[in-house]
Amino acid sequence: MNDLAHGVTVETEPPLEPVVDKAKILLVDDEPKSLFALQELLSTLGQNLMVAQSGEEALRLALRNDFAVILLDVRMPGIDGFETARLIRARDRSKSTPIIFLTAAADEMTSMFRGYEVGAVDYLMKPVVPEVLKSKVAVFVELFRKTERLRESEDKLRRLAAHLISIREEERAHIAREIHDELGQVLTGLKMEVTWLAKRLKDKPLIEKTDSMCLLIDSTIQTVRKIATGLRPEMLDDMGLVAAVGWQAKEFQKRTGIRCRAKLPAESRFDIDVSTTMFRIFQEILTNVARHSRATRVDIELALGEAEVSLEVVDNGVGIEDQELHAKKSLGLLGMQERALLFGGDVRITGSPGHGTRVSVNIPLRKSK
Amino acid sequence: MKVLIADDHPVVRQGLRQMLAVEQDLTVVGEARNGQEVVEISRRVPWEVAVLDYNMPGKNGLELIKELRQRYPGRAVLVLSMYPEDRYAVRALKAGAAGYLTKESAPEELVSAIRKVAGGGRYVTPTLGEKLALELEDNRGKPLHETLSDREYQVMWMIASGKTVRQIADELFLSPNTVSTHRTRILRKMNMKSNAELMHYAIAHHLVD
Repeated sequence: MNDLAHGVTVETEPPLEPVVDKAKILLVDDEPKSLFALQELLSTLGQNLMVAQSGEEALRLALRNDFAVILLDVRMPGIDGFETARLIRARDRSKSTPIIFLTAAADEMTSMFRGYEVGAVDYLMKPVVPEVLKSKVAVFVELFRKTERLRESEDKLRRLAAHLISIREEERAHIAREIHDELGQVLTGLKMEVTWLAKRLKDKPLIEKTDSMCLLIDSTIQTVRKIATGLRPEMLDDMGLVAAVGWQAKEFQKRTGIRCRAKLPAESRFDIDVSTTMFRIFQEILTNVARHSRATRVDIELALGEAEVSLEVVDNGVGIEDQELHAKKSLGLLGMQERALLFGGDVRITGSPGHGTRVSVNIPLRKSK
Repeated sequence: MKVLIADDHPVVRQGLRQMLAVEQDLTVVGEARNGQEVVEISRRVPWEVAVLDYNMPGKNGLELIKELRQRYPGRAVLVLSMYPEDRYAVRALKAGAAGYLTKESAPEELVSAIRKVAGGGRYVTPTLGEKLALELEDNRGKPLHETLSDREYQVMWMIASGKTVRQIADELFLSPNTVSTHRTRILRKMNMKSNAELMHYAIAHHLVD
């Protein structure tokens, strides 16, 4: 307040973030002495060491943190190490967190097996050999780091893909609108002018000229419309997904001679982005059917639930090989999956050679309109 | 007859004005650039026919038609749209429009449509009329092409698209003999004698482009 009164602003530099975040390691032992020893031993790794003196405490910490590795004493009062591990693993967030059990009882071979059953990844005998412990923990820290980095770059790629998809969609809509509205309307105006002129002409060759001009303008208008609809069907915005899917199915049948049967719900309007996503996926499915399936028939079912919209497209073609499904080059399929994922949905493709292909798409409906 | 012109494009409004000016019995009493203006002008000016662009900025075309119908049941709304009628006309008519024309329509057609709807009639283009008639017919019984199997339908479509037996055989990985057999069966089922008849049927029923 004083600073403000004197017109002075104090700016504090935010503390510099470490370039690499420290990995968290949890040490669990009921004996303070052992805990202290572990801490001393691992401090040279330069990571963030957290400690717990009981199973309960360990669980609480595991709830709020992602650990690179947990060192867990087997024998503890209350919840013992095995039970603690089981509970930690039961939670989704920590179900694959590496755990190293520390056991003092050399004869507890059976306990080791029990340990593996609850999903332990390793164990060490007490008293631990410092070098062994250090190198083991270091390996897990490194693994954790790599996984984190991988997740980050996956996340980045996904965001980039999402960005590109939405940019492309916006651009298409924009261009379609410009072409349709501006070009189309000017052509309409032009045609009216030519007709006006034609009405005043008496000369037959001249009238023939204006007639052919009109025909040219008509076919240009149709081309303009075709281009605009190809970029983004205006129906999607005017009438919604249900009408657009029905129209696209008819167009597909007309264009390919593959018979389409569409089962559609009553028309209703919902989130335009979800509609666009579903529609583009639908188009991609049909493209695949036309290109690869050799089908003679496609059955389409669009359903509108309370919380989600779902689409099922079944063809009677040659079916898809698992190999093809997982081949890196099937970018079209990957694209569909990514599009659906953007809205928390999914695309499932099933089928076997000779028995057609079934594609199921589910996308949750967003609450806001 | 008092006509209101509503279109957001000056070129189109100008064209319409010129076109209607020639007609003795038609007077343009107002011009609107968007749905809001249509509503405002309607309060002041008692037009008889509105020539309405389907998608102007602001209000959705269907909503505007409904609103006008509700407020002024005695007046006629004629939709003049860039959009093809097969997708939009029926909806516009259901919403209360007296007629639907695409902007490629000949000016004479527009003028006669205005006269017709002003008298309380409805106007549909011959193409739409035919389509509606076909739909009625289809509702009475199965259309002929529905009696075909999926494969036969596909072969029929290919013939109607002008493909030869050899081309069809190549594309479908079938022998020419098989394709010929399909063709014979298709013609029999559809009660036809030639490929030309098939083509004609397919075009009339919008099975091909």
